[in-house]
Amino acid sequence: MTATRPLCILIAAMGGEGGGVLTGWIVDAAERAGYPVQSTSIPGVAQRTGATTYYIEIWPEKTTQRPVMCLNPMPGQVDVMIASEFVEAGRAIANGFVSPDRTLLIASTHRIFAVAEKSAMGDGRYDTGKLFRAAKDHARRTILFDMDQAAKDSGSILNAVLLGALSGSGVLPLPASAFEDGIRIEGKAVESNLAGFRFGLSHGQDEIEARAAVLSSLPPAAAVPALADRIARLPLAVQKFAAEGIKRLVDYQGVTYARLYLDRLDMIAKLGDEMLANETARHLALRMSFEDVIRVAQLKLKPERFAAIEREQRVKPGQPYTVAEFLKPGVEEIASLLPPSLARRVIGFSKRKGWTDKLHLAMTVQSNRIGGYLKLRMLAGLRFWRPRSARYAEEQARIEDWLDLIRRAAALDLNLAREIVDCARLIKGYGDTFKRGAGNFDRIRDHVILPALEQRLAPTVAVNALVQARTAALADPEGQSLGNMLADFEASLRPAIPQAAE
Amino acid sequence: MERSFAKEIESLRLGDGDIFRGEGILAVTKAILQSGVSYVGGYQGAPVSHLVDVLVQAQDMLDDLGIHLETCTNEASAAALLGASIHYPARGCVTWKAIVGTNVASDALSNLASPGVTGGALIVVGEDYGEGASVIQERSHAYAMKSSIWLLDPRPDLPTITRCVEEGFELSEATNTPVMLELRIRACHVTGEFPAKNNKPAKVSRNSRLPGPSAFNYDRLAHPPATFMQEKLKLEQRLPAARKFILERGLNETMPGDLSEIGIVVQGGLYNALNRALMNLDLADAFGNSRVPTLVLNVTYPLVPEQLVQFCAGKRAVLMVEEGSPEYIEQALHTALRRADVNTRVHGKGMLPAAGEYSIEALTRGLLEFVKAEQPQINVSAADTAFSSALDNRKTAQAVIGTDLPPRPPTFCTGCPERPVFTAIKLVEREIGKVHVAADIGCHALATFAPFSLGHSILGYGMSLASAAGVGPLMNTRSLSIMGDGGFWHNGVLSGVASSMFNRGDGVLVIMKNGYTSATGVQYIPSSAGNRVDGLDSGADIETTVKALGVKWVKRIRTYSLGTMREALRDALTTTTKGLKIILAEGECMLARQRRLRTEEAKALKAGERVLRTRFGIDDAVCTGDHSCIRLSGCPSLTIKPNPDPLRTDPVASVNSGCVGCGHCGEVAHAAVLCPSFYKTEIVHNPGWWDRFSDRLHRAVIGWLGGNKAAPAPMPAAGE
Repeated sequence: MTATRPLCILIAAMGGEGGGVLTGWIVDAAERAGYPVQSTSIPGVAQRTGATTYYIEIWPEKTTQRPVMCLNPMPGQVDVMIASEFVEAGRAIANGFVSPDRTLLIASTHRIFAVAEKSAMGDGRYDTGKLFRAAKDHARRTILFDMDQAAKDSGSILNAVLLGALSGSGVLPLPASAFEDGIRIEGKAVESNLAGFRFGLSHGQDEIEARAAVLSSLPPAAAVPALADRIARLPLAVQKFAAEGIKRLVDYQGVTYARLYLDRLDMIAKLGDEMLANETARHLALRMSFEDVIRVAQLKLKPERFAAIEREQRVKPGQPYTVAEFLKPGVEEIASLLPPSLARRVIGFSKRKGWTDKLHLAMTVQSNRIGGYLKLRMLAGLRFWRPRSARYAEEQARIEDWLDLIRRAAALDLNLAREIVDCARLIKGYGDTFKRGAGNFDRIRDHVILPALEQRLAPTVAVNALVQARTAALADPEGQSLGNMLADFEASLRPAIPQAAE
Repeated sequence: MERSFAKEIESLRLGDGDIFRGEGILAVTKAILQSGVSYVGGYQGAPVSHLVDVLVQAQDMLDDLGIHLETCTNEASAAALLGASIHYPARGCVTWKAIVGTNVASDALSNLASPGVTGGALIVVGEDYGEGASVIQERSHAYAMKSSIWLLDPRPDLPTITRCVEEGFELSEATNTPVMLELRIRACHVTGEFPAKNNKPAKVSRNSRLPGPSAFNYDRLAHPPATFMQEKLKLEQRLPAARKFILERGLNETMPGDLSEIGIVVQGGLYNALNRALMNLDLADAFGNSRVPTLVLNVTYPLVPEQLVQFCAGKRAVLMVEEGSPEYIEQALHTALRRADVNTRVHGKGMLPAAGEYSIEALTRGLLEFVKAEQPQINVSAADTAFSSALDNRKTAQAVIGTDLPPRPPTFCTGCPERPVFTAIKLVEREIGKVHVAADIGCHALATFAPFSLGHSILGYGMSLASAAGVGPLMNTRSLSIMGDGGFWHNGVLSGVASSMFNRGDGVLVIMKNGYTSATGVQYIPSSAGNRVDGLDSGADIETTVKALGVKWVKRIRTYSLGTMREALRDALTTTTKGLKIILAEGECMLARQRRLRTEEAKALKAGERVLRTRFGIDDAVCTGDHSCIRLSGCPSLTIKPNPDPLRTDPVASVNSGCVGCGHCGEVAHAAVLCPSFYKTEIVHNPGWWDRFSDRLHRAVIGWLGGNKAAPAPMPAAGE
């Protein structure tokens, strides 16, 4: 009896990515070199972007007698695990197909987000930090880098980079030329596939670490020299966000408005907690640059936006193209541009008529054509009017209220104040999204924050409740989770009340 | 169908002296051609679709051989096709996906098996069981037993599979019984090689026709009283003949081994996995040299009792390796041993799992237990350690990775015309409340996954409307049934629409009219724009058909028109008009459309013709990271990316380069009144003089107005 065992290769991919092409390249190369080889797959409905796998066994010796090869992988017995995406690598590790004594893990570190991650109301992305740790701990060896980027850089496809990395790893008894020949024989996109292959090959030979994306450095605060010295007086940790905030608000409304931002921020900074001031600097800038029709028009006309579109859509210099915007402001959004008293009457009337959910001004505007440009320019020009609008008044009142809650909380407990600052992330967007977020904030304010400030709740209890409430508010758009959470929270407090009364 | 099988067809032409290399299902196709068949048919479904798909494109080869190809409208018609072999010495082969296809075919199968066949009749079923399966988990075995159809389950290597095809026809003819060959998913896609033979023209074929019908013979009718005689024939003649054939041809294989006190009986299809499990215990090598005697059942029905008894006699115990439930073979083995008064212990279910695929892991676990119990003198501690360390490794990995690893079920393709229908349903439900949704088989069943999570039941292909017939009358709100055009022609037209009309039903039916059975590989259906035979319109029109059945309320709506679709759904679900209401949701399968368009576009670009490319995008600065748009779409090209704004943390929505410009995200933003961050670009390739002139004019004027250089100069704000 021979003790030799086949080399087992498992490929994790998503339907439609061409995992079959990669499998075919490996199988053909082994076959041509005279090594018995077998592959199989489970395509089915997984064709349609779902997670799927391909499995290959290669007999490591040249022989004419055919060994009995298997159709599915066994945990602990995979020699090479290839994953075309990082969470799919994680799935393979979790399924036991990557083992410390045997497996070479070749995976691209880029992410293709699953529906559950994409559809979260806030940030639902899976934490891939855990995956890097799992990959290091569970593989004998790893080749991990962003192969999607590598493919783009080399004008190739991801599968060619993966094939190169596999070849470069030296695990298979096949020289690089065996794979290159296969690409040539197939005769499809030969040059670009070879480029990707060679890129992967060099990385496979010399393992490199994936680098975390470096955040683009912030622009200097010198954009608004008049306010530079005021920024300099803020705590160092707060200056970065403050500078960005000022830049945004000068663009949004003007220098006076940016000064108001600094006045407000100073008050929080005076409380002496840098973390609190820093997060306030961030949220305050966002809250003060609330989105209204005027802001949207402003953003749509920015020249850097058109540069980005040309880059992303690969428009060649001088190539004709049009950009169409889909705008659909509702009664409330339009009325909120009016002075507060008038706006109240118009909105009240519309509500009685049942128009608020139905009546919208639907527009498709071509922003890089003269007519569309002028329309947007006119809307953006309403900026001078904004401080007189109902929305402005409403937002400033909300912001002042929020700042007041923070100040009062800081006197009791800094953690509580920080949590209140963070609740601002619930308020964002336009139309329904905005209404939902603001409504959630108010519910949390009434049920948790106010009781805490009135000292009917211990600060630690309130802090925990705020963390839970924020998560619940972002769990479903119907607000059911938040409703349940708040009800449970109040129920949990009830037994304590009679005791307190005694 | 747009996919080309030119390469596969080449390998079907191989002859004596050539080596065939390719996938299992293609090898089956080749073996059929080598067997001299007169006709082939089937209904598509993974994992056996390719058998018919490849032949559809090989019409000239079929013409040379005189083979008739029938692309059947469902499995029942495919099974009935085998009726040609009852009277005439014509070999025929049909294929479908099991268990579902066999269920649909079962009436015809019973009526075929009872009178029996003259020409060899082979049914190739893709046993959709275990990992990757898309249907309920049941066994075809039950059908073989109840109808007396012989069932082959070959070892998953190409020489054995092709041998079973060829000898399957002979077995069928020698016993006047249809033969079923089952191939599991992975076996259909397994690659390998076998020595090819020349394709064989049949004695009876389109090129060599029969002069006329056979003489009237009542005994060949599945009709009483002949049926009583046929039941006896099955048991008294055909069954013994089959057992004789199996033994004479050595269809089942006995592998020797020195551990004669024990043995293993295994279904052929599981042999490779079993051998690996034996290797894990150091009881076999990779070339199948095993220490444990093994009986490999390439024929799993009928069993040959004397063969089983002979194998087991004198052994202390055997392990029965039989996948799925109920354990028919294990029960038969017990009966055979009991009747022969052989006291060998039989292990099976218990040591091996009752349900689920028999992976190498499951088999290794069972074998360890079997050897420990029956051959305790054999030291398996090394195998035991290796096995548990692999499982421990998996456990620790799972602890690190956590349970929150996002699942990735399949979803609608980018630009799929069916996605907007489900967006519309979600939007309508916001207005009128939740409705009972009867789902169906097809791509649209993907709406049962997030972000739509729509569908209360799936009762089978084309069954949605029928499955809602009892729901509607019991509920205050109208029910909504979803059906594909594939499902409609498969049987939904009768079991759904006709039945609803007959019973004065009051439901709503949405028929996805995308032009193909797309989930199974984009095959033509009776209402496809082309027909495989002559390329012309097949002439079957869904709207005409349902109107002919008496349906009054029918609306045809382009699926991408989200607003119109929403209105139509609202109307259908709330109108006071009684009776079945049908919405024909029209939009060609994007997979098929893109295959065609990409080639056309590339050609036009090369020829220097004007091409307008539409794509969608999202403004990072305007998107606030709420992702409502994604919750209403789930399009693969609508994804998220890190927020480039240093002040914001939630990721922003983003359209990646996979966008095909279907326009759905723009429609969603419009219909659901989402944020104004979506934009549409239209880029002109090979622009004409007018394109260039007007573009320059607009750029110049906007530039003159100050638009291209910088933002409009800040105007003094009020109060400044």
